[in-house]
Amino acid sequence: MLDTLNHLIYGFGIAFTPINIFYAFIGCLVGTLIGVLPGIGPAGGMALLIPLTYGQDPVSAIILLAGIYYGAMYGGSTTSILLNVPGEAASVVTCLDGYQMARKGLAGPALAIAAIGSFIAGTIGVVLLMFIGPPLARFALKFGPAETFSLMAFGLSMVTSLAGRSLRKGLVSLILGLMMATIGVDLPTGYIRFTFGIPKLMEGFDIIVVAIGLFAVSEILISSEELHSGEYFLKKLTRIWLSMKDFLNSIGAILRGTFVGFFIGVLPGAAHVTASFLSYSLEKKFSKHPERFGQGEIRGVAAPESANNSAACGALIPLLTMGLPASAVTAVLYGALLMVGIRPSPFLFQKHPDVVWGLIASMYLGNIMLLILNLPLVGLWVKILSTPPRWLFPIVLAVSFIGVYGVNHASLDLVLATLLGVLGYFMRKYDYPLAPVILGLVLGDALEQSLRQALMISGGNLSIFYQSWIAITLFIFAGAVMVAPKIIYRGRGLAEIET
Amino acid sequence: MIKGEDIVALVIIAIGTVYLVAAISMPSMSIGDPLGQRAFPIILGAIMMLLGLSIFFKPELESKPVLSRKKLFYTLIITGLLGCYGWSLDLVGYPLGTFLFLVITVRLLGEKSWFLNVPLSAGLSTALYLLFTRILDISLPLGIIER
Repeated sequence: MLDTLNHLIYGFGIAFTPINIFYAFIGCLVGTLIGVLPGIGPAGGMALLIPLTYGQDPVSAIILLAGIYYGAMYGGSTTSILLNVPGEAASVVTCLDGYQMARKGLAGPALAIAAIGSFIAGTIGVVLLMFIGPPLARFALKFGPAETFSLMAFGLSMVTSLAGRSLRKGLVSLILGLMMATIGVDLPTGYIRFTFGIPKLMEGFDIIVVAIGLFAVSEILISSEELHSGEYFLKKLTRIWLSMKDFLNSIGAILRGTFVGFFIGVLPGAAHVTASFLSYSLEKKFSKHPERFGQGEIRGVAAPESANNSAACGALIPLLTMGLPASAVTAVLYGALLMVGIRPSPFLFQKHPDVVWGLIASMYLGNIMLLILNLPLVGLWVKILSTPPRWLFPIVLAVSFIGVYGVNHASLDLVLATLLGVLGYFMRKYDYPLAPVILGLVLGDALEQSLRQALMISGGNLSIFYQSWIAITLFIFAGAVMVAPKIIYRGRGLAEIET
Repeated sequence: MIKGEDIVALVIIAIGTVYLVAAISMPSMSIGDPLGQRAFPIILGAIMMLLGLSIFFKPELESKPVLSRKKLFYTLIITGLLGCYGWSLDLVGYPLGTFLFLVITVRLLGEKSWFLNVPLSAGLSTALYLLFTRILDISLPLGIIER
């Protein structure tokens, strides 16, 4: 413990040099901007800006990239809240309540709680990273295919809380997402599935294209229609600042989100996205007023925003303690480290303590910087809301298209996004939730492949699942999550009939 | 009177059926992989069909009166504009394509002043292009302007 603190002080010494403070600031600024732009997520943004690190000192380079990573996590929530347009895949969940808050004139508090929650989560996440990182990493190593499958099943069971009033419609959305995940090349066999002769589909569906198309485009379509028929209205801003009451209400959500996000982040898989979905669902399940979620409940913003920041910390653990990149972002960091001449390995802490501790210390710094940067910006972002919609909508589309185009430089992706937008439009009209589609798309691959791998290893024997205590625990959780609301609602329903 | 909700349910059944049929017609041999590439899709297709049937025969209690032909037409126009914009982007280039898209769409959404519309759209398209290509280093096509 004392050792760790010594290291941390050493790290602060490195992080607080003028040049590194400068890099942290630039990283955070650019990261926030990238996060705000719909479509370009942290991995893409970091990859784009790696050239900026050429010739830099390794520590500075990593500090810069980490700043971008963090900033992008913060920034992604801005457009989600203001425009119902997810800045990146993990921000999809923030759209659910954040945008509803904005429509009620509470954009300010929504943005503020996102920033504050992210800050608290990030800070706690870094502390957790320092102290329980290595043992947690060893635990994560125990996750073989069977455990991963049960984790994915647990993740999918969350759909029950995303489904709103109709579970069947939620399931339809989920299965749609899972189906979309199966389109393309099947990795184990090399067989190409469900392309129906369309070459573009061989690559499968990219999450960004789907998120932008399904959410952003459909949002603009619906809002334009409302505008046209005179039904569009955005309630005037009632308050810019967070009230103490809001903050106190959200603390629980923030803390829960932090811990959920951190532990999910350590595990291999789609860390940020899964973390934000999971924390939102858990928050909703355990809330006394689940019906408020989706209508502008501040905890529905606080929990996922905290979760995805702490997931960012958790995701760094496998990289720093074992040299294993467990997510797209950490893979980019891995590449960046290689480029500055450092090979991540289980001995990274020993061989390059300056890089590791400098990074950790700069994360504290980055957290503070982002809070300072973002809170004043809340007022600015909210002003943007007052742009007349007839300009705002097309501009949002034009910018979103850049995000989509940036994925593959294929204008066919834009057409695809448009078609998905039409799909999203109809889904919204008929009350089919959109979020489960993203959940299915993100988890579908891992779900199917882990199941097949597990059965391949066991030779078709299902015992591999019940021999793993981790898997059993997660299956039980999944079952509990699906059954619990029915028991609660049945109890309430009976009470209502009797009164 | 066929309700919109029913049509949606039928579409769901159709999607499930098509997917299921495509899944079943995949070859099933795969070495060492007990499930193969068919199993998961077959399950998904079957569930989708069942859900569709369930929703068709036991629809949800609330169904909002939803689409008017006029609204749909309007949405279709915007979709068409967006589709053209996306499809022609490589050809026409980002600055020009965005300019055209903005001018037309903004007018469609209610901007009456061409005096404001044209210069602002041009300015925004150029600004966006420069912002992303110069500052953020994301390459966007120039299209016709290049030639």
